[in-house]
Amino acid sequence: MTAETIIQSLASGLLMGLLYGLIAVGLALIFGLMDVVNFAHGEFLMIAMYVTFFLFAFFAVDPLLSAPLVAAALFVFGAVVYLLIVRFAMRAKANAGMVQIFSTFGLAIVMRGLAQFFFTPDYRSITHSWLGGKTVSIGGIFLPEPQLMGALVSIVAFAGLYFFINRTDFGRALEATREDNGAVALVGIDKNRVFALGWGLGAALVGLAGAIMAMFFYVYPDVGASFALIAYVTVALGGFGSVFGAFAGGIVVGLVEATTALVLPPSLKSVGIYAVYLLVVFVRPRGLFGSI
Amino acid sequence: MDKNFAARRRRELMIAGCLAAVAALVPLFVKDVYVQNIMVLTLMYAALSQSWNILSGYCGQISLGHALYFGLGAYATALLFTKFGVLPWFGMLSGGLISALIAMALGYPCFRLRGHYFVIATIVIAEIALLLFQNWNWAGAALGIDIPVRRDSWLTFQFTRSKLPYFYFALVLAAIAWFVTWWLEDSKWGYWWRAVKDNPDAAESLGVVVFNSKMGAAAVSAFLTAVGGGFYAQFVSYIDPESVMGFQFSLLMALPAVLGGIGTLWGPMLGAVILIPLTELTRSFIGGSGRGVDLIVYGTLIVLISLAQPQGLIELFSRRRKAVAP
Amino acid sequence: MTALLETRGVTQRFSGLVANSDVSISVGRGEIVGLIGPNGAGKSTMFNLIAGVMRPTEGSIWFDGEDVTRMPAAERCQRGIGRTFQVVKSFETMSVIDNVIVGALVRTTTMREARRKAHEVLEFAGLAARADVLASQLIPSEKRRLEVARALATQPKLLLLDEVLTGLTPIEAQTGVDLVRRVRETGVTVLMVEHVMEIVMPLVDRAIVLDLGKVLVEGSPKDVVRNPKVITAYLGDRHAVGA
Repeated sequence: MTAETIIQSLASGLLMGLLYGLIAVGLALIFGLMDVVNFAHGEFLMIAMYVTFFLFAFFAVDPLLSAPLVAAALFVFGAVVYLLIVRFAMRAKANAGMVQIFSTFGLAIVMRGLAQFFFTPDYRSITHSWLGGKTVSIGGIFLPEPQLMGALVSIVAFAGLYFFINRTDFGRALEATREDNGAVALVGIDKNRVFALGWGLGAALVGLAGAIMAMFFYVYPDVGASFALIAYVTVALGGFGSVFGAFAGGIVVGLVEATTALVLPPSLKSVGIYAVYLLVVFVRPRGLFGSI
Repeated sequence: MDKNFAARRRRELMIAGCLAAVAALVPLFVKDVYVQNIMVLTLMYAALSQSWNILSGYCGQISLGHALYFGLGAYATALLFTKFGVLPWFGMLSGGLISALIAMALGYPCFRLRGHYFVIATIVIAEIALLLFQNWNWAGAALGIDIPVRRDSWLTFQFTRSKLPYFYFALVLAAIAWFVTWWLEDSKWGYWWRAVKDNPDAAESLGVVVFNSKMGAAAVSAFLTAVGGGFYAQFVSYIDPESVMGFQFSLLMALPAVLGGIGTLWGPMLGAVILIPLTELTRSFIGGSGRGVDLIVYGTLIVLISLAQPQGLIELFSRRRKAVAP
Repeated sequence: MTALLETRGVTQRFSGLVANSDVSISVGRGEIVGLIGPNGAGKSTMFNLIAGVMRPTEGSIWFDGEDVTRMPAAERCQRGIGRTFQVVKSFETMSVIDNVIVGALVRTTTMREARRKAHEVLEFAGLAARADVLASQLIPSEKRRLEVARALATQPKLLLLDEVLTGLTPIEAQTGVDLVRRVRETGVTVLMVEHVMEIVMPLVDRAIVLDLGKVLVEGSPKDVVRNPKVITAYLGDRHAVGA
């Protein structure tokens, strides 16, 4: 194992980490907004990947171009999920936590079933995207182009999110609703509208991630499950309720995963991430930057 | 007032006794092996969910990693039997004790965590165990352990000609899990757990050592779950990490309690009786095509019940009773 | 006779903010002592320190002759400190009697004993008729009484009441005052934080006034109320009469 291999791994890990952050931030946003963990988050990613795949397969649209479309589609989907399901889950007075967990979890199962029904369990892949399979050399390190693009999109998305939350009216409405969703009605903010849009935004972000990932991952009904747990760990590691935490958490997870892959057999790749999560929360019970 | 309370407690015991008696008679009328299989699984999940309910329902510490204990129980039993010839009875007990100890050891750092951080920690710990077992060659790694039949007997707890012994064992297990819950409900521990669940700060101000009570709940819950795991190993005669330690299994242990009524005495039982046959039947009749229709049905059911009846289906029974009372 | 409760030079700092500064107070057996002061005076922090929810940055706390400064809250309850919370923390999914049973369990050995004690306490607090009602369905004044009943079930030597009379109607407040008097008659010492002067002053034997984290004045209710420093603390300089 040379220094070059290590740097190579870490660089890839960093890129993947930024992508993980992009997947996770939607989750963090929704949680921060309304204290609900979306257990169907992995399935949102899966849907995004399928939409990207079909746009490519039927209309020959490269994932890079369809990414905004996919994000928009997921935005609508996220808002609809809130309005049809989550809105009612939040009304539960008893066992509120369990209702949220299991209603979104039930949704995840339904989505997987629907995907299996409509798309079959077959593995799909996008074979000739513009960036797929290509690498670029930066300072002697070879970086796969899709992941590199993913990392860039992630950084831009986070920057955009920061600007959006802190500088726009809607962003402020989001913050206000987060702090006191009862009181915001008094200043003319419709809580449901804000929540629906929040879900839409969270889903759109994961939609972007899905579009990128379709460039280099197989697309199949259960693909969401593998990334879902990483997303939850990322958000929890960074601290629930912190958008920046999701960003930092993603980077940590990506790097830890890459490091673990260097020293342990590939099947144990995830052990590192899980162990780091436990270490972090045992020392800081609210994650790295968590406020809740 | 005490008399009403004692009467209620007696009534609960009587109902449980009657149900157990009825259940015990069912195999005499139902001979179809396939149906008997479903019945055994239903009882097993009832026992598992009831055990899960102790920690997550009564004490409010939601664990989605209970497959860890189930798996440990299964592996302890299987390994002791296949590698050392230790009878499954001792295997199950050992598995139970090991799991209880591990639950307490894990509780030490984990019970400091609240809410979602705790839940994710439980998921992650089970996943680590799963991955470790998948790479542990002595324990069969990803291929698992095959338990060859030595002898058809109660001693070795293996039966090839009939499912009935398994059925009765599972019934006893479910009854024990129910009884332990019933007994603990009217005990210091039961009250402390519910206080900790509702408001740990207030509980502390009333002299409850929150940490110790969580540990107690974890130990009891883990023990019973592990015994269930040991049973399962002998029942199916083949285990591998994915089937006994997977996340799906953790969820399946929690679901009956959630649907039936989390934190209630009868909830897990009711939930298991409804959910397990439904799951198996939809999988057999609809799922065969591999097109996910069973998942759609299953998932929709979970969404509907959790939204419409957050207290669980058991609420329907108590509401009816209240309507009738003078 | 040693005081039941004594704080010696207790200071509490929260990253830059000083909530309590060198607070030394004592509460004698059988007294009803009022802890008053304007908002932000550090009364709730003091309460939490005495109850064991947090440890003071400096100083010590002595209860019944024992140094309890480092003792966790649950153990302090076992020693005889009971408390209510300003924002009521009832066990919402449990019935009224079950709430109280939780408190009773710290002293009793059997469940039967605990239930009996709980019934007794509910009678005392006037909640016997609501015994089987879910705590979540009580009206606010009943919830307050439940808080007190629950703490009483632990058979405390010292009962810390955190604004139990605030926000009640005059009639409810009178019932509350009556309850506190009866509590003292059973031999329990009371330390209460309060805002509503007209209600608290006739009730307490002694009043301790905190302002900006320090003890301002101590004495009989009559004297404290007329003390110009106290008036200034509450109302500002313009209202001070004499010096």
